[in-house]
Amino acid sequence: MTIARFSPFELLLLKSRHQADTAALLLLAWVLANRGPIGEPERSRLAELTGGFRHGHALAPILEIAATQDLGAIQLAAEVLQKEVHGEQAAPFLRLAIALAVEDGRLSMANQHVLRFLADLLGVAPGEFAPLYAAVTGKAFAAPDDPSRSGYWQAKEHRRRQREREQASQQQDSRDDSRHRSEHERHSGEQGQSRQGRYRQEQHRQRDQGARQGAAPGDRTRRALAVLGLEPGASRGEIRRAYRRLAQTHHPDRFFNDGEAVMASASQRFQRIRRAYDYLMQVS
Amino acid sequence: MRNLYQRLGLDPGAGEAEVTRAIEHCEHTALKADARTVLEVDSRREEYDALHTTLSDIGRLRARLGLTHAPYWRDGPADDFSLPPDTHGSRHDELMQRLTRAALLHNRWHRLRGPWSAAGLLALGIMLGVALCRWLL
Repeated sequence: MTIARFSPFELLLLKSRHQADTAALLLLAWVLANRGPIGEPERSRLAELTGGFRHGHALAPILEIAATQDLGAIQLAAEVLQKEVHGEQAAPFLRLAIALAVEDGRLSMANQHVLRFLADLLGVAPGEFAPLYAAVTGKAFAAPDDPSRSGYWQAKEHRRRQREREQASQQQDSRDDSRHRSEHERHSGEQGQSRQGRYRQEQHRQRDQGARQGAAPGDRTRRALAVLGLEPGASRGEIRRAYRRLAQTHHPDRFFNDGEAVMASASQRFQRIRRAYDYLMQVS
Repeated sequence: MRNLYQRLGLDPGAGEAEVTRAIEHCEHTALKADARTVLEVDSRREEYDALHTTLSDIGRLRARLGLTHAPYWRDGPADDFSLPPDTHGSRHDELMQRLTRAALLHNRWHRLRGPWSAAGLLALGIMLGVALCRWLL
């Protein structure tokens, strides 16, 4: 009979003792496939994590389907999961997905989007998902990077160069240290140089930290002042006066008669002005 | 993430020459600069393409699952990949339909197996008889 052809995943789903678990398994395998090629360690890790599942069939066909990124199968799994898993049951599944996604310490960009999709699928709001992610990984769930912009690649290059420099300096340090130690053994009096070197290093680190901490707030204050049309170093009174004047000219209610688009853009400008003002009132 | 191919009017599988030409003709300077940085270096394009595929897949899934306006998608950076809701129907419903149909055919076959096979045997017998008569006479 050629009327009813079933895809491999459909057959698995029909054979499964617990359809929701089979569907969850495929989505977890999809997360794995988005992390990199699936080898033996990944397979055994998945088997270990999903030990409590009641699907009752082999794992290998699921991994094969996930590796081909078969959209139809993934859609079917997502539908089954959406039907069967609600509310309280969503958290354990998402925890598993997060654990698999950040297994090697970092979250791939693809999985960042996959996790967002899974959270949406199970009706877990961003406000609930972020603490869940933090609880599993100990890190905040950041917004995904955007490789369609030059900035992303520049930052990446910068990080790579910095890492290389750090490695080089570490090697240098260890070489210095060992040299100093042998010198120290030979002439126990000559310690000054090594201490000085370490001191210089310490100073350098402190300055670096200072620059990193100092740059962000100073810059933000300057930008906030620029939004209000003020120079750096303006007083509280000046800030308040500038805010009142700008808030009056840009208040969305003034543009009520000019149509919705104009009003929306005015409301955006007004929001920006108010945020700048709020921030300045906080820091000054 | 922005869909650079869509914005440049290109096919995601476009060749190098085609990409370069499209970038040359692009009139938006910021987009032009970004496209040059991303698409004209092979290793970067590879990484971009991988994410592009994943995002297109997720976009399609969202459209079919009715999640086009889900919270994580609403004003995120992946807006270029959101499609209008797809009315393709649910895969699960379709599977159930096919299953019902298969079960129905199976049942019908079981119910009508007796009469049909009797009729078939009768027809076969008649044909054999006719052939035998022809051959003998």
